Amino acid sequence: MGESLEMSTLVFIPAWNEQDSVAEVIADVREQIPAADILVVDDGSVDATADHARAAGATVASLPFNQGLGAALQTGYLYALREGYDFCAHLDSDGQHPASEVARLLGEVVSDRADLVLGSRYRERGDGEPADADDYRPTFSRKVGTSVFRFFLTLATRQRFTDTTSGMRAANRRVMALFSENYSPDFAEIESLQLAVRQGLRVEEVPVRMLERAGGSSFLTPLRSAFFIFKGLVVLLVGMFRPRSVEAER
Amino acid sequence: MSLSLLVLAAEPKVSLTAQTRILAAILALAFMLLILDLIRRDKLQERYSVVWFVAGLGMLVGAAFPGLLSIVADVMGVRDTNVALFSIVLLLLLGLALNFSVIMSRQAAQITRLAQERALDKARQQGASGNGDEPHGESAPAQSSRS
Repeated sequence: MGESLEMSTLVFIPAWNEQDSVAEVIADVREQIPAADILVVDDGSVDATADHARAAGATVASLPFNQGLGAALQTGYLYALREGYDFCAHLDSDGQHPASEVARLLGEVVSDRADLVLGSRYRERGDGEPADADDYRPTFSRKVGTSVFRFFLTLATRQRFTDTTSGMRAANRRVMALFSENYSPDFAEIESLQLAVRQGLRVEEVPVRMLERAGGSSFLTPLRSAFFIFKGLVVLLVGMFRPRSVEAER
Repeated sequence: MSLSLLVLAAEPKVSLTAQTRILAAILALAFMLLILDLIRRDKLQERYSVVWFVAGLGMLVGAAFPGLLSIVADVMGVRDTNVALFSIVLLLLLGLALNFSVIMSRQAAQITRLAQERALDKARQQGASGNGDEPHGESAPAQSSRS
């Protein structure tokens, strides 16, 4: 990350009603990536998320009403693009993503080994490090959903991804330009990956350590998971026949 | 027309009675008046009223010239004119509903972008007033063991 000194970096954090954890996440990012500006995209929170984030020293972009994760992430990419940042990264606001791992992802794009880097929970770490007690363990429905998506995304992109729904990513300006214009509000994670690969961007996965959620519970009930999977498959299928735009090639 | 007459002669045809035709014509006229009134009271935008006005006109034409309906029924291979009528109306409504979903999706995307632009403006204001970005006193960036 040493070469990032003259490069500007934005780390943005989409947050929806995460007043209990957002300040901690900001402090973590500030400590691990001191050169980066921090933006919290407050996705129409009804609690004090925005106030806590501002108090912790982050810039806050508040959406006037809840728009969903995809729209929140797009807001971050849009801000990074418009404000002229060279690189951006985002992580979840619930404390699942250690900022030290985000710094590693940023290192990959800063050294231009990839345009878009994803943090993967599942890909094996090479160093054989023993798992911590608080390491991330996926639930059953999450496992099923993940493997379904993995299969179809591999089919669609001909590139192997293990953690298709990862919310920890780092990107350069080519990705910002693409995602700030074309980002499905319904199915941000999968479609964006497919889109990036189709546009010829270099997408890479890096194994990262993730923690169990600090607070709150996952939004995935079995019924929602089924709907989630169905939507995802539709998105992938349609995405295969979407015209390739030449815009991102510039 | 001669073809439809031939078919008419061949098998007993279920068609619209005079009563239904009058009722349909009255309904169609009332419907079109309602559309005009909605536009007048700014409850309906002109661009979304066209399709409803056309629907009302179609209803009126169907009531005035039931022969047209018989022809359509023949083309569809349906003996009962009413069945043909229902099928056509059903298809039209399906198309309309789809049309609205398309319009709704477009507007949802526009609303999202509007919300994002507002959020970005607010964030920029905050950045300009020196409230954000710069680390505050209590959180002096500590150099830690980054790779």
